[in-house]
Amino acid sequence: MAQSLSVDKSGARDGAKPRHRKPMFDSGWGRTTLQLAAVIAFFAIWEGAARAGWVSNFLVGSPVKIYEALVRSAQSGELFVDTGYTLFEAILGFVFGTAVGSVCGLGLWYSPFVARLIEPFIVAINSVPKIAFAPIVILWFGTGLISKVALAISLTAIVALIAAYEAAKDADPDLQALLVTLGANKNDVFLKVVVPFTLPYVISTFRINVGFGLVGAVVGEFISSEKGLGHMIFTASSLYDLNTVWAGLFVLMAIGFALYFLIDLIERRLLPWRQASNAPTLRV
Amino acid sequence: MAVQLALRDIRKSFPVKTGRVDVLGGLSFDIYERDFVSIIGPSGCGKTTVFNVIAGLLEPDEGEIEYRGERVDGLRGKVGYMMQRDLLLPWRTVLQNVLIGPELAKMPLGEARDMAMEYLNTYGLAGFENAYPRMLSGGMRQRVALIRTLINDPDIILLDEPFSALDYQTRLYLEGVLMEAVETFNKTVVLVTHDIDEAVALSKRVVVLGGRPSHVKKIYDIDINARTPIGARSDPNFAGYFHALCGELDIQTEAA
Repeated sequence: MAQSLSVDKSGARDGAKPRHRKPMFDSGWGRTTLQLAAVIAFFAIWEGAARAGWVSNFLVGSPVKIYEALVRSAQSGELFVDTGYTLFEAILGFVFGTAVGSVCGLGLWYSPFVARLIEPFIVAINSVPKIAFAPIVILWFGTGLISKVALAISLTAIVALIAAYEAAKDADPDLQALLVTLGANKNDVFLKVVVPFTLPYVISTFRINVGFGLVGAVVGEFISSEKGLGHMIFTASSLYDLNTVWAGLFVLMAIGFALYFLIDLIERRLLPWRQASNAPTLRV
Repeated sequence: MAVQLALRDIRKSFPVKTGRVDVLGGLSFDIYERDFVSIIGPSGCGKTTVFNVIAGLLEPDEGEIEYRGERVDGLRGKVGYMMQRDLLLPWRTVLQNVLIGPELAKMPLGEARDMAMEYLNTYGLAGFENAYPRMLSGGMRQRVALIRTLINDPDIILLDEPFSALDYQTRLYLEGVLMEAVETFNKTVVLVTHDIDEAVALSKRVVVLGGRPSHVKKIYDIDINARTPIGARSDPNFAGYFHALCGELDIQTEAA
């Protein structure tokens, strides 16, 4: 009897402990610390390996020399011109491509007949790797800024179109029926149900398309250009200047990163109804 | 009693793989002014089809609908519509959801807003007007749906099992709210349900559908004068109607 009592007691003490203990670093600051530590360690090992001669300086470069290349390029002002060009092309391509694609995709909701008619053509266009259009786009639009924007549009528009169309097709039929009984016409249903219903899906394509915008700009610059980060990377690599190549890549990474967070901000602004939640989350 | 809505020999079939299946085989019944009619029947008997025909969402293959003596195609814009799902637009706040009807009718929004706030106060939703639907409980959401229906001042309120997803307590409460609102605003109600208990407690008349394709099997006048759904359930006549309707639907109520 006494023994079972003591067992119960220890059991109760165990039960009082929180079931799920959070790892020590599982907080905003903790995560940032770990992430920064990982980045520093990565570059330190890279630099160390390059200095000790474990890896070829010529083929992989070294962080310190990459930094020097960045500073040199920044001092001459070229870095900012190139970055500005690529950024401008990517954003222009992203905005136009996504806007045109989304509007067309949404527009297909109006006519299921037209939608079904052109579906195979959309699939066909989508199944070509769009980068393969690059040579034609350069021929048509020249070696300047427009060809890069056009390439970025060709990459982003189709993604936005398919996402918007698929989402619009799934717009809740019961909500549409409700609006019809309240006297709504087709335009009302479109503006008050289909568009807001589709918006989250369209915005989620922003994340993908920001990346595709950069891809279009950089690939266009690879093929033929006088300015831009793609041009900087391409010329440096043909001169075997690996450190400058890395410098260009890291700037591209920074751009992509910044744009991603910008989209996050836009999403929060446009979809306030998705943020508010007091539902408890399940910890498995 | 004046007939408000008359269904005359409504037929409707739907295409399936092997041809067509007849759902409604010549349905006729009247709905009076300020009536509260429940439509019950075994599952798959076309209750929701009748509902959608009245709402003007489906066109019957044959038959006529008369509204106050005139032939009409459907009652779009004249009906309020509530389903088991509350059908609140998740991207709109409570107030914006309530105002969707006036917005579509191009009514002056200032007036409608004042009216909406009054309704929200009456139904215990004051302070939630700027909340999004996902932050509310099921009962609260269904109350918002009811306000959205009432504010449009429809001639007929169509209800398709509006409370069947709620727990029993919330349901009794909302049945009461509904009965009171219908009395206050002099509305005609058509309730589609599979819940015999609810049909008897709320209605003035119950239309029983049966057969395949379905037709009107019988119409019961419910002679219960209780003002609340709980009161109705304790009326001496309640059990009699309940058993009679169970019998109509071939549900065994006594151990054989």
